[in-house]
Amino acid sequence: MSTGTAAPATKALQDEFNPFLSMAKGFDTAANHLKLDEGIRDVLRMPDRELTVNVPVLMDNNRVKVFTGYRVQHNTLRGPAKGGIRFAPEVNIDEVRALSAWMTWKCSVVNVPFGGGKGGVICDPREMSQRELERLTRGYTVAIMDILGPDRDVPAPDMNTNEQTMAWIMDTYSMHARRTTTAVVTGKPLNIGGSKGRREATGRGVMISANEALKMAGMRPENTRVVVQGAGNVGGLGALLMHREGYRIVSLSDMYGFIHNPRGLDMPAVLAYLKANGRLEGFPEADYAPTTPGHVPQLELDCDLIVPAATENQITSINADKIKARVIVEGANGPTTGVASDILDSRGIIVVPDILANAGGVTVSYFEWVQDRMGYFWTEEIVNSRLEQIMVQSFGAVRATAEQYGVPLRTGAYILAIDRVASVYRMRGLSA
Amino acid sequence: MDHTTRETIGTLPSVPTLDEETPFRTMMASFDEAARILGLDEQEYLVLRKSDREIAVSVPARMDDGSFRVIDGYRVQHNMGLGPFLGPVRLSSDLRIEELRALAAWMTWKCAVLGVPFGGAAGGIKVDRASLSRSELERVVRRWTASLLGDIGGERDVLAPEFSSEEDVMAWALDTISEHERVTANPAVTGKPEALGGSAGYHDAVAQGLRIITRLAAARQGLDPSCLDVVIQGAGTVGGNLARVLHAEGHRIVGLSDVQTSLFSPAGLDIPALLAYRAEHGRLPASVSGVRSLDPAQFLEQPCHVLAPCAVANAIHAENAERIQAALVIEGAHGPTTPGADEILGRRGIPVVPDILANGGNVVVSYFEWVQNRTGFKWLGDVVDARLRRMLREAWDAVLEVQEEHDTSLRMAAHILAVRRVAAADHARGIYA
Repeated sequence: MSTGTAAPATKALQDEFNPFLSMAKGFDTAANHLKLDEGIRDVLRMPDRELTVNVPVLMDNNRVKVFTGYRVQHNTLRGPAKGGIRFAPEVNIDEVRALSAWMTWKCSVVNVPFGGGKGGVICDPREMSQRELERLTRGYTVAIMDILGPDRDVPAPDMNTNEQTMAWIMDTYSMHARRTTTAVVTGKPLNIGGSKGRREATGRGVMISANEALKMAGMRPENTRVVVQGAGNVGGLGALLMHREGYRIVSLSDMYGFIHNPRGLDMPAVLAYLKANGRLEGFPEADYAPTTPGHVPQLELDCDLIVPAATENQITSINADKIKARVIVEGANGPTTGVASDILDSRGIIVVPDILANAGGVTVSYFEWVQDRMGYFWTEEIVNSRLEQIMVQSFGAVRATAEQYGVPLRTGAYILAIDRVASVYRMRGLSA
Repeated sequence: MDHTTRETIGTLPSVPTLDEETPFRTMMASFDEAARILGLDEQEYLVLRKSDREIAVSVPARMDDGSFRVIDGYRVQHNMGLGPFLGPVRLSSDLRIEELRALAAWMTWKCAVLGVPFGGAAGGIKVDRASLSRSELERVVRRWTASLLGDIGGERDVLAPEFSSEEDVMAWALDTISEHERVTANPAVTGKPEALGGSAGYHDAVAQGLRIITRLAAARQGLDPSCLDVVIQGAGTVGGNLARVLHAEGHRIVGLSDVQTSLFSPAGLDIPALLAYRAEHGRLPASVSGVRSLDPAQFLEQPCHVLAPCAVANAIHAENAERIQAALVIEGAHGPTTPGADEILGRRGIPVVPDILANGGNVVVSYFEWVQNRTGFKWLGDVVDARLRRMLREAWDAVLEVQEEHDTSLRMAAHILAVRRVAAADHARGIYA
């Protein structure tokens, strides 16, 4: 996994920048609060099942190349495993394992009936043709097919996989099973069982989380200046939705730099410009500054709310003291290091943690699975209103847990998530 | 039974009028044109022109007198890009696989236009049901079903009736599948009796669909969609039900006909009385006081807002198209407008809402039945009505969007939409293996 723009120089920073150590820290803190005994901790720490497959693929040059792939099912106590499949050269079993655990907690926080899973294939998609990617996807699907299924394990898109990849998985599974099985995978195109509202789901969840966080802080969208890091499906669409909600978006970044206008950005115009030009640089009604490695000045701007929606390790021990916002809503996974988290807590900054704030995506994935199972598809309004209901409810549950234990929201979210899984474990018992 | 009579009584209306020799080719002609307009890759379109799978089975059945008959059975599955297959089961002594091929493809396009997640199929048994006793028929249907077990089912290929009178056939097919699979396989069959999981609203579905589409089309023409003067050709399952639901909604049915009689009254007909008479006597009354009985040839040419041909194919043709005085034509029957008439009406600015979009209410409610069976939760009648409205409105909006994009007739727009949707699904799924 890439470690973001700021490269860690020391061992201490390397540990701080390991998002999985951050997550393990979150888990341990929460488990201590819950006074979980060692046995349950081990059950919840270790994946239920890890599958490694070697997939031979006929390449365009007529040579066979073997790709190694993984599928890890961390926990299926609350339902079928759920989690993305990524294609990347740096995929490794440790990362897939950690990400699968992350999915267990995320699904539990928003109370969708899934456990956690994750998959990956070691490959470099930039070096492969569409035909090769299709054959790889189909081969990988067949290889892990025994543990897949709407009631077993439901993959989704992740790094370097998309709607098209999901369509191939759906087709391969359906042809093998000799029945149309749309519910085996989510994130599909609309015409073969996808859900309306999925593309903007994570951004919408971020917006709803921000609304709820403002209520906690006694703030109002109209008086809230927002810095958004990232201009993709989460940052860009999240900023657009927040703009419509009345927030003043003062800064937005892409991978090259950020634009800034203290009077507020006209988000539809910004996104139109980005679409036309491929980058934010040059947008007329704002200042621009390029990103420099190891330094994230955008996050130190004068503002009330930050949405880090780009990549991990953006708020660290280096810059946590300089954050001026009162509220942070984590659109990305792991944007705040554990050390930075403690600093922000001690400064009284409200942080809505990733496993809550960016769970809009998995929630609409859940909706897609539900719609596929019944075969009836909801209107966009229904998808959006049900998403809002789940996000608001989950935020309330996390906040109540945090208040009950006297801890920040992040620890509250982990306590809630782990307690839900642990209580199912106690009810179901050991099957044999 | 020929195609035209079949169209007048069917609740799952079948294919447009077909050339006897090449039914598939005549049905596909307009879709070939749609693919050309879309600029579809030739190889991709070839996949859409052929059936995915054609199954022929021999159905041996014991007759009541102890003898055996071996009967031909078929199931043609056209394209599964959008989902499991869905299509009728036709019982006919002159059944040919060519006509099933055309019917299966027609179902693919119809499902695509209506936005229901199915591909098209059609099957049949080459037998005249009147020649069999009830127990013989049951054995034939069960054996035909058993022969196809590996290829049908709720997520493979869903069977539907061709006429509502075939509820019994559907029930036997469902029972056979369920017994073999040792599960209650309700979603494998639609058009079932309500006691076996059939949907509310199935029997009126075609008429309700026509009503909804009529209102949408009338509003677009600037007519008041709550008060229309309507001429309906045909008083059977489609036309009669349409007259009933439109009359109940407050529209004025100024003309209604059946094979024997064509009644016209600018003040509006007393529909409940006429339908009651027809239910009792099997035909409309020859004369009604204060109402003109017209020559059938003139019937379609009377002034009205909406003309709904719900009886035979080719009712509106090049000879009478110039004299049509309606603001709007809604095709309740299959292929009631010839291509020549289409052109004339188009030139005169009279929109024709095509059969594929207008008379598919039963396909949508078949789909609802399948959804209800999958979830195990039965919808109330008004939920079915509301969702039927939603589906048809979305289909209507999608067709209008294509019409504007390609500046063409509603019919061609619907056909383009169908080909585009199926091709997109096939493209996304790619070629397996």
